[in-house]
Amino acid sequence: MKFNTVIIGGGLAGLVAGISLQKAGNSTAIISTGQNALHFFSGSFESMEEAPQRVTDLFNKAGIDLHYTPGVRLMPMGTFKKSALSLEDISLFPEPAIGHKALIVSLTGYHDFFCDFLSEGLEKQGMQCRIKLLNLPELEQIEKSPSEMRSVQIARTMDRIWENVVREIRILLRDEDTVILPQVFGLKDASVLSRIRQGIPAQVVFTGTLPPSVPGVRTQMLLKQHYELLGGTYLMGDEATGAHVYDGIVHSVVTHNLGNHFLEADNFILSTGAFFSKGLRSNPFEISEPVFGLDVEQAPDRSDWYNPEFMREQPYMKYGVATDASLRALKDGKPLQNLFVAGSILGETRPELGTGGGLALRSALAAADAILNTTAE
Amino acid sequence: MKLQEYTLSTHNFEECMKCTVCTAYCPVLQVNPLYPGPKQAGPDGERLRLKDPFFFNNALKYCLNCKRCEVSCPSGVQVADLIQAARIKYDKSPIKWRDRMLASTDFMGHLARPVAPIANAVTGLGVTKTMMDAMFKIDHRRTFPKYSGRGFESWMGRHEKEQAAFAEQVAYFHGCYVNYNYPRLGKDLVKVLNALGVGVQLLEKEKCCGVAMINNRMKTEATRNAVHNVKALSKTVDKGLMVLTTSSTCTLTLRNEYPALLGVDNSGVRDFIMMASRFIFERLEKGATLHFKPDYHRKVAYHTPCHMEKLGWGVFSEKLLRMIPGLEFTKLDSACCGIAGTYGFKRENYEASQAIGEPLFAQIRTINPDVVACDCETCKWQIEMSTGYSVMNPISILAEAIETNKD
Amino acid sequence: MSNNEFDVIIIGGGITGAGTQRDCAMRGLKTLLIERSDIATGATGRNHGLLHSGARYAVNDPESAQECIKENMILRRIASHCVDPTDGLFISLPEDDLSYQQTFVDACRRAGISAEVIDPELAKRLEPSVNPELTGAVRVPDGSVDPFRLCAANMLDAKLHGGQVRLQTTVTGFIREGDTIRGVHTRNLVTGQEQDYYASVTVNAGGIWGHDIAALAGVTVGMFPAKGALLVFAHRVNNLVINRCRKPSNADILVPGDTVCIIGTTSTRIPFEECDCVAVTPDEVNLLITEGAKMAPSLSATRILRAYAGVRPLVSSDDDPTGRNISRGIVCLDHEERDGLKGFITITGGKLMTYRLMAEIATDAVCRKLNIDKSCETATTPLPGSEEGSYEAVARKIWEKPSMAQKAAAARMGSRATRIQTRNTLDQALICECEEVSVAEVENAIERLDASTLTDLRRRTRIGMGTCQGEFCACRAAGLLAKAHDCIEKERADLADFLQERWKGNFPIGWGDTLREAEYTQWVYKHVLGI
Repeated sequence: MKFNTVIIGGGLAGLVAGISLQKAGNSTAIISTGQNALHFFSGSFESMEEAPQRVTDLFNKAGIDLHYTPGVRLMPMGTFKKSALSLEDISLFPEPAIGHKALIVSLTGYHDFFCDFLSEGLEKQGMQCRIKLLNLPELEQIEKSPSEMRSVQIARTMDRIWENVVREIRILLRDEDTVILPQVFGLKDASVLSRIRQGIPAQVVFTGTLPPSVPGVRTQMLLKQHYELLGGTYLMGDEATGAHVYDGIVHSVVTHNLGNHFLEADNFILSTGAFFSKGLRSNPFEISEPVFGLDVEQAPDRSDWYNPEFMREQPYMKYGVATDASLRALKDGKPLQNLFVAGSILGETRPELGTGGGLALRSALAAADAILNTTAE
Repeated sequence: MKLQEYTLSTHNFEECMKCTVCTAYCPVLQVNPLYPGPKQAGPDGERLRLKDPFFFNNALKYCLNCKRCEVSCPSGVQVADLIQAARIKYDKSPIKWRDRMLASTDFMGHLARPVAPIANAVTGLGVTKTMMDAMFKIDHRRTFPKYSGRGFESWMGRHEKEQAAFAEQVAYFHGCYVNYNYPRLGKDLVKVLNALGVGVQLLEKEKCCGVAMINNRMKTEATRNAVHNVKALSKTVDKGLMVLTTSSTCTLTLRNEYPALLGVDNSGVRDFIMMASRFIFERLEKGATLHFKPDYHRKVAYHTPCHMEKLGWGVFSEKLLRMIPGLEFTKLDSACCGIAGTYGFKRENYEASQAIGEPLFAQIRTINPDVVACDCETCKWQIEMSTGYSVMNPISILAEAIETNKD
Repeated sequence: MSNNEFDVIIIGGGITGAGTQRDCAMRGLKTLLIERSDIATGATGRNHGLLHSGARYAVNDPESAQECIKENMILRRIASHCVDPTDGLFISLPEDDLSYQQTFVDACRRAGISAEVIDPELAKRLEPSVNPELTGAVRVPDGSVDPFRLCAANMLDAKLHGGQVRLQTTVTGFIREGDTIRGVHTRNLVTGQEQDYYASVTVNAGGIWGHDIAALAGVTVGMFPAKGALLVFAHRVNNLVINRCRKPSNADILVPGDTVCIIGTTSTRIPFEECDCVAVTPDEVNLLITEGAKMAPSLSATRILRAYAGVRPLVSSDDDPTGRNISRGIVCLDHEERDGLKGFITITGGKLMTYRLMAEIATDAVCRKLNIDKSCETATTPLPGSEEGSYEAVARKIWEKPSMAQKAAAARMGSRATRIQTRNTLDQALICECEEVSVAEVENAIERLDASTLTDLRRRTRIGMGTCQGEFCACRAAGLLAKAHDCIEKERADLADFLQERWKGNFPIGWGDTLREAEYTQWVYKHVLGI
């Protein structure tokens, strides 16, 4: 099959690049090894201190509302984190004072939401907190398999019975100005969130749970749907296993499922993620990039890959594929002419592009622009 | 080999990062609280089962083997294979007669076909259904696939010479369904391939791919079929022929399940087994042409069967259908229809089966297509029974849309 | 007797201390055990968990070999829920001298250890992971034993016999009256509270730290610490213990333990200052993998979960002029006879395998001092949890159709699993999904087994010991601990400590899937949860 651009890696970077290209009339395919890191998305794009119109537009068109409110958001362990560009699930505040009294609501038997930590964290900020656990008869079915009381599973039920939840909370609510709820609402349709917010006479703060992330799953789903609606070909559950490269130009990519049916394209984007997503592979001797064998910036000695303190910055997390100024991948020090790199596989080799979600957005747009520019030339 | 260069484990279970993504995509987990879920049943449980088979949990039988956990896994863990392999290896409970009967599609076909009208009438009777439900726990609400009086194999026998006349040849692994229930699909394939200048022949003698036997833990019988089929496939492949299929499940079984679950080496033939939609798409991509009817119009909603999703070849059926002028194409959200071969026929699974399929059925009703396209026969039964919409294999739609000299 | 007065105080919550407390308590003594950290934090929890048949010592140390096989048979009876009687192989590889096999078998038989020479082909069938190049194999009654569970069960039994336990409590000094030890000054390391306890006899069971405890009492016990490094692989590669049939050396034992297998060990002398912070070096990791792969080649491609090291408490017999030590392994010092210090006994040396015998010897010494004439019953009385035999039987007795988690609980708790039987469905939710540990089991460990931190919980339940090394279970269990102790701030620090402790064992082998997991854990805790 032949496309204008083949994108390897279907996470945030791959989808944003794919959508941008499709919109510009560039036909693309995305190869995605299963689902991706959006499933662990916190809801805020890290290191996005600005809100480029094209990003908010792109998400809006996909049915995802972003808001840009520089400030802090409440984290699941009761701490606060600086954030700006976020999904509508996320409430942002100018400072870590979000109200006077909070009602923290969770579900009986749900262990992936940390009421006590939230309460202690908020009390440190001078807030009074009360914790209530809902016992909803509609959850009886899930409760029979208590280990599978996970966010997504709960959200499937909640999206049907959110009105009952609102009613219960209205009964529980005394003089609290804030209600804190786990992010177990709006798996397919975020409008549930605003309806809950309207239904409760207090500000509602949806706060993160252990993965999977409900806002993340929804974002992935909507971006993928939008991409396919624009005519993109999303190959889910397939893996790029190799490539045909001649004279510094990538001709085609080989995938596990398609075997000898190669995916040909004029340009390629590599957005396969870092270690978790297997964009980078490591063994005791080296860190490598498995599809093209690209140059990976790294310390040669394994003992330099780590900081013995877990919570400190880990050197290995900064390693990534080396690129030239226009994000073309380097192999043996030379750029591959039509292979662009985006997302966390860059590590922190391009600090000007930020980290996390910010890196994914900036590099994906830059890669798409580079491709559209070369095509225009 | 350098030590620790790679990690290798059976069905990659050690690559599981415990990320829980699979649990979000398991259709069974959404409807059946007795099922421990793919993560627990698969990689988590595997470590305990390796310690002691005692840790095997009988609730693994609720797994559909739809492979959606595998398709969604970011780590490449063969979750469903782990579960099916564990069932085969550790579940020592006797196999029910009902399961044997459902799994022996070949045998049942042989028995029923000569008396097809009677068999169809009987299986369609309320009293038979009640009896089957009572005796075998085959759910009485199920509609049975109809048997065809004349098998596809015998039809092919009658057209052998005419097919041999084509300079270019392919082989066709038709599967039980085409032979016993729906020869029309096989004839449609022959029509399309002939239009491309390709003649069709059968394997020397194919047997049921064995998928239902695997899912019902009949490893010995499944392995017997697998060994036979690999031998038959080898003979064909040695002649330089590709082997085409029209059933995504048969294809997945022949290509993936033989080595992964039965330990039958198919490396010599695997790459030569191909869904017909892929073969035809590749032909057209390389410049071959089909003559489409000028006035053709169909509103088609394409359902990607679970095993097509796992093969990663839905894209070929989709692109092929999109090539048909006058065809209004919608792709349905990829979701399991709930039947999973023999799974949905069992009384204990009926409710779950229908609940799993409901979102798909609802979407079909909303789109209201002329016909649903899909590459799997059991999905066809399930969707037709549950929605009333007729379901056609993309090959049949293609056959309907082209003009041939005979038409 | 007042609340702070005891017949005997035991210092050290390792297996020796716990075993000694149990024995003393069963003989009717009023006991107190003091441990500065948690149970099994020293050498007890930092070894292979090998249920030695004694075969390893048969050639060079027949006395230890005889002790081992005797205790091996006893532990199978009294600690069935801690023991996995797998059997073991001593294999000869092409590079090994096959003639050693006969020497080995003869020595085993002399020590009373059944040692059956089997055909290499049979060995491959019995243990498919074994190096197929093997030239010889001997089958012996090795097995594996869970040291944490064993330690907890001994301590629990001591408590059931009236014993008291103070964890997180350090001995700051001894209460001396002339030439007699009357008791100890202690400080609780969590609350800072100081407390004196009195007893007629104090037993020093501090393992390698017994050196310091003796010094605090003014006597010298000459010990030298030897570090041993080990690797945990992520699943059970072997189901029989695999040893090399040669003179004992580095990395020549592969033990299947619960859901994992462990290769070890190395042996390096280290200075005393390093005992509290032993780290595994890259060279040790390389050696363990290389040697391990010789015994079971698949280890070269099996995910490694952790690297860890323990310190063996070896005693130099030169410093024991009295010559009263019973064997070269076990050393029991009556400091009255040895140093003229009354009311103080040191029990040391030995090994996990012989803890019960050490406890018996120490308790005999205590009883002699107290003029008590009661015989030891620890060799015949099952530990709590081991009364009912196999976990299969236990699980089926408690639950009609046990789930995987209930089976796992029965395997860990033995017959004590009845403690979590009646809990409601929601309490069956898994806290640790890798090791199948439920809410009920975690709460039981908090309520009944003195677990106050996540690391304590890990030792008692295996949370955080599985493939993901605490990714999900750590914060879930932290939620339960926070609720139980009603101290969230402390739990926050505990969670950070736990993650750090897990990382300590991960980064020395931080590549491949382990590094992927580490990246994911970083992501979950830093970016998703925000700790």
